[in-house]
Amino acid sequence: MVGEPDRQFSFRGRPRAARDGETLLSALSTDRIPLLHRSIQYHRPQGPLCGIGHCTGCLVRVNDRPNVRACRYEPASGDSVTTENAWPSPTWDLLGAIGLLMPGGVDTLHGLRRPAFATSLYQRFVRRLAGTGEPPTEAAFRALSAPSVERSSEVVVIGAGEAGRAVVTALVTRGIRPVILERDLHPLTVPGAELLGATSAVFLPPPAEAGERRFTLLAFREPAQGVRVDAGSVVVATGGYDASLLFAGNDRPGVITADAALSLTAPSRSPPFRRAVVVGGSRRAAEVLGACGDSVEAVVAPGEIRPDVVRAASDRGILLYPRSLLLRADGRKQVRSVQLRDRNGGTKTRIMCDAVILAHRRVPHAQLFFQTGAKMAWRAGVGAYAPTVGPDGATSIAGLFAAGSVAGVGPSEFAVHAELIADAVARGSSPSQPATSPLAEEAPTELIGYYRELLRVPGHGRWVACPCVDVLVSEVERAVRSDYRGIEVVKRYSGLGSGICQGRYCLPDALLLLSILEGRPPAEVGYITQRPPVVPIPLAALASLPIRPAAEGVSP
Amino acid sequence: MTFARDSYRTVVVGAGIVGLFTAYHLARAGGGPVLVVDRGFLSSGASGRNGGGVRQQWETRGTVRLARESVQAYRRFGLEFGFNIWFRQTGYLFLAENEGELARLRAVHSLVASEGLPSKVLDADGVARLVDGIAPGAAVGGTYLESDGTLYPFPAVWGVYEAIRSLGVDVALGVEALGVEVRDGKVAGLHTSKGTVATPTVVNAAGGWSGDLSRRSGLEVPNVATRHEILATEALKPFLDPMVVRVSDGLYFSQSMRGEVIGGLALPHRPGTSPGAGSSPAFLTAMARALVGLLPRLGPVGVLRAWSGFYDDTPDGFPVIGEDPRLPGFIHGNGFGGHGFMLAPATARRIALAALGQPTDLDPAQFSPKRFLAPSPVAPVERLQLG
Repeated sequence: MVGEPDRQFSFRGRPRAARDGETLLSALSTDRIPLLHRSIQYHRPQGPLCGIGHCTGCLVRVNDRPNVRACRYEPASGDSVTTENAWPSPTWDLLGAIGLLMPGGVDTLHGLRRPAFATSLYQRFVRRLAGTGEPPTEAAFRALSAPSVERSSEVVVIGAGEAGRAVVTALVTRGIRPVILERDLHPLTVPGAELLGATSAVFLPPPAEAGERRFTLLAFREPAQGVRVDAGSVVVATGGYDASLLFAGNDRPGVITADAALSLTAPSRSPPFRRAVVVGGSRRAAEVLGACGDSVEAVVAPGEIRPDVVRAASDRGILLYPRSLLLRADGRKQVRSVQLRDRNGGTKTRIMCDAVILAHRRVPHAQLFFQTGAKMAWRAGVGAYAPTVGPDGATSIAGLFAAGSVAGVGPSEFAVHAELIADAVARGSSPSQPATSPLAEEAPTELIGYYRELLRVPGHGRWVACPCVDVLVSEVERAVRSDYRGIEVVKRYSGLGSGICQGRYCLPDALLLLSILEGRPPAEVGYITQRPPVVPIPLAALASLPIRPAAEGVSP
Repeated sequence: MTFARDSYRTVVVGAGIVGLFTAYHLARAGGGPVLVVDRGFLSSGASGRNGGGVRQQWETRGTVRLARESVQAYRRFGLEFGFNIWFRQTGYLFLAENEGELARLRAVHSLVASEGLPSKVLDADGVARLVDGIAPGAAVGGTYLESDGTLYPFPAVWGVYEAIRSLGVDVALGVEALGVEVRDGKVAGLHTSKGTVATPTVVNAAGGWSGDLSRRSGLEVPNVATRHEILATEALKPFLDPMVVRVSDGLYFSQSMRGEVIGGLALPHRPGTSPGAGSSPAFLTAMARALVGLLPRLGPVGVLRAWSGFYDDTPDGFPVIGEDPRLPGFIHGNGFGGHGFMLAPATARRIALAALGQPTDLDPAQFSPKRFLAPSPVAPVERLQLG
């Protein structure tokens, strides 16, 4: 897929080149993880965190189109790429002084009220700071315009990963020709099915009439093509993603998730780091070591480290730090070292590194299920919500199925599970009474215990709880102290979870944080209603779709 | 015992901005003890779901005056309540697509100007100066009043909530009001999902659920809950100052202090509070078309989230304020039709007066619950009930 570097584009006015099929982020990450962005409020240096098109860390402006995710954009020759929300540059940003002068954050709820005559001055100043990119130009919109895609199909499968492909194969052998939507820019095809690649499903309301099998799915294909699929059954195989973690400097350039590390490690090129610290001691950590173990310096795990990870690490002379608290990542513009504390003895260690790879916790990508009103259950092992499903993947909504890890099924079971789902889809049966099936690897973890220790670390209030909106841990603590309880209220009080990643990288942490601060189980803290769309969809994509007022359902 | 006391002088149903402000004025006037109950969490209803618009351009003198008083209250809010609501007075711009609509806006302008507010009539160029990038020919003109504006609703809710709690008002969240208890033809208590509480006065400030509460209390009322959807985009650097409202289809949008473009569009929906305050593909597509049609440069901007809330609509588009003549002790503070937030500070003061049995300066023909009980019922009126 990746060829010669023959796509010439400009980045901040300087010539750069990308290979065919290479993302902008990959092209900009030649020798290290780049500093592309400043955080929205305090202008802290931010690097790409997720690598899969959700976080704010790689937003750039391309041809006068703002907030383009560099990890989901393949440059074309002649593109003009600039950075946003930083002056004169993300590396040297004058407004970074805000974060330095007010490390405890600016209290916009209670502060900036006095004296009254200065209010409009504050407002103008604060408003200037708001937002990331300058608005697009009309020419940028015209360049995006494309006719919409509409499909009507017996079955739509969302996600063409291993689990989704297994379901599609099983459906095809039963004579069903599904439509598959896949976010990946270059997904693998499955014979017998229609694949829409580079396509993000964003909105799946339940059928207009309860029990009726008529789903309408809204999606968009990069960059801004509207997609609508009508289907009698929907199989969601959206998998999981690697969660963030609370520590000082957790959004510094160089701190990335395992998703990002794997996406930046192409077979034909070396990763954009030399000495990474991998956080986590189980399967995901093993995958990272398998892909880029030669560029890893140490493995740090909140709990124990699995034997296969220990073996993989020992083969390469990688240092192991089990049962460790990750306290901070240091380095002003780029991670230079991390500081750990042994959870048993309390010994502190500093490890020099140029990347921190978060592979400690993989949570289900279950956002679409919330929209349908499907019954969800708290999964203690991963500390997140997932749909309740029966053995055949059926959810509480007739015609809606969950496949693969989002349903708590492990990779070794994908094929068998796919057959059961395909049978149920072909039968068109009403849902079996769904029962929660145990998540694969739902070993008792010590997430809560780990976070409890973190909250005793001095200075944790200055840590960033929500990198998209710049919400500090102290602001969450203040909300709880003021008797605002529950995640829905704390979200509104602090702004946490209302940014571009739709809460993906703060909610898993915030639920545990609130559970500790409020002194009740995480499941009682509640979950934030995942409002549509689950991925920001360009207005142009929506506007290209015909309006059909009556026939569609309403999300709860 | 669910509530701090067995009995209260007044129970306010609804911890939205209207109910909270009413409790605030009651407590300050010595009308306590006061209890506020709400079926959800704080800001779970329309007060946490609206677009934050506050305007004084109305078609009647009564509403212009209430709105003007509310604007003054919101200007003082930060100092009075200790919370910064970011009330930004950068105007409401009403757009007309043809001369007929412009004539209608001119009539509103004359009334608003006669109340001493410096409203302006703009031509197409004047509109284009306020909305950078507006599609050519999208509007023939409009009206603009700079002292209208937008605010951030949540801190207003927190501010009044904390103020009433420090004044000794009890607030019970997650408690649903099921109807009033009537004794000797008067209000004697309120039945709730957590038991009955004794009170001679119940204020119905339940927003979209107020019609249900009145009917559960044996009072036929014309209030209808209607779902209205809204969306917010990714945050952009500031490029748009006023709240923009289009007369023809009710399209409205503004850019928040955080940089998000927030707006909605009037679409026909099934009345009632089911199937809940969710979103629909129909709204997303219609809203995106309207927005991109008016302001094409927004095409590449991502929609970040969509949600909805309930308007509490009345046939004539005006709120219902005052004691129900059929049931002494039952005070209406509802029917705001999506304008509760912008009118709350001024109207809540009068709702509180009514709850205390004192006269108000409101025109009964426009605001009293009696107007729906006349032999010839009030005819539905289409109004500029937008934004």
